[in-house]
Amino acid sequence: MKLGGTKIITHTLHRKGKENDLKQDYVLLAMFASGINDNYDDSRQKLMKIAEIMNNHNPVNIMPKFGWSVSSTITATFDNIETVKQVIRELKEEDFGISIVISGLISEIKNVLKDLNLDIHTVHFSLGGNFGRKELLPNEKILEITTMCGHHTVSPQSISSYVELIKRGKMTLEKAAEKLTRPCVCGIVNTSRVLKILNSLVKEYKS
Amino acid sequence: MEIKADVCNGCGQCVIVCPVQAIKMVQKKAFIDKDLCVECSVCYRSADCPVNAIRMKKLKWPREIRIPFSNVITTHKITGIAGRGTEEMKTNDVTNRYHFGEFGVSIELGRPGLGTRLGNIELFTTKFAEIGVIYEEKSPVTALIIDGKGHINEEIKNERVLSAIIEFKIPTEKLARILKVIREIENEIDTVFSVGIVSRIEENNTDEIINQLSQLGFDVRPNAKINIGLGKP
Repeated sequence: MKLGGTKIITHTLHRKGKENDLKQDYVLLAMFASGINDNYDDSRQKLMKIAEIMNNHNPVNIMPKFGWSVSSTITATFDNIETVKQVIRELKEEDFGISIVISGLISEIKNVLKDLNLDIHTVHFSLGGNFGRKELLPNEKILEITTMCGHHTVSPQSISSYVELIKRGKMTLEKAAEKLTRPCVCGIVNTSRVLKILNSLVKEYKS
Repeated sequence: MEIKADVCNGCGQCVIVCPVQAIKMVQKKAFIDKDLCVECSVCYRSADCPVNAIRMKKLKWPREIRIPFSNVITTHKITGIAGRGTEEMKTNDVTNRYHFGEFGVSIELGRPGLGTRLGNIELFTTKFAEIGVIYEEKSPVTALIIDGKGHINEEIKNERVLSAIIEFKIPTEKLARILKVIREIENEIDTVFSVGIVSRIEENNTDEIINQLSQLGFDVRPNAKINIGLGKP
């Protein structure tokens, strides 16, 4: 994949899925406040250290390493809340002073914060459903995958096409999940969740 | 974007990865519908074109405005960051952009996945002008608004982009009027949009805001973005 070095902002609100599926889908984001945090000499070092901490906890996806040295943001995706808790505990202890945002189930995140004696500062709520010409959208399962990249770089027809190839034995589930993850440069597509959804789509096609 | 017809071998990989279905096969060659193409460059980056037939062309005004609203790896001149959004609540523990007694509102036109003409922005901004909102000054959409009545530059209205986010804040008492406008426009617009509400939270009490939105006829999804207050100025 060709990619120029630049600052990358991510886009993790409005991810689709039932509550049970979202229990396996959390995105952590660290971000400089422009003109404030990035005025300090050690800011880049701090952001790199945050990236290393996230990476040490085996995320299912993370922003590519070359982005760590140029981006104002670091993002990583995890498939369970317990790991999120461990990462947040470490970030709290290190006290970097960089903003941290968790995207995921409100109820689960609140439990984590309570255990770690932290408070919610600000929430960005997603109003339910979509608005406008909803009839033009693909089905919910497809949207569960495409909305994992908030910039919508994952195309709906690539999912249908890969499901067809998997069904005919011409592509593995893992290869399809990898190909669907690649267009998202932020590292916020949850690869293990994509695998599960693909698997259920293949079963639906077969039945 | 451009696909060199004399180089294309007709494999169709770019057709599959295009997020807005702007690439079609015509006489066994991939062809980009220039009107539908939002200039996101996903085909260039992710199609693995075996013959390097996909090129990024230098664009002229007004078409060039499609790029920053569609191509995630392009940095906006206004925000200084890549992508369509701003820091919004992500750094609110440092910037204090949103205070108690205020709501932030984000309306993302074209999301999820359908894209939008920039002219759709005016459907909202002309009505918000009557209510009075404080636009996020670093938002690329705010830069398109040319007067106090919420109009945008005529030249760019037909330009198609992957999405455009209207970001602003209001005192809490204006929320009901804003949501009423959103419901009205739902029936007029030719694409989809997603809506987010930003709020400071006291003592981890998210239920109060969720109940307030529910009383106004809007469900809140169980997942959200939560700033956990570790940032410092």
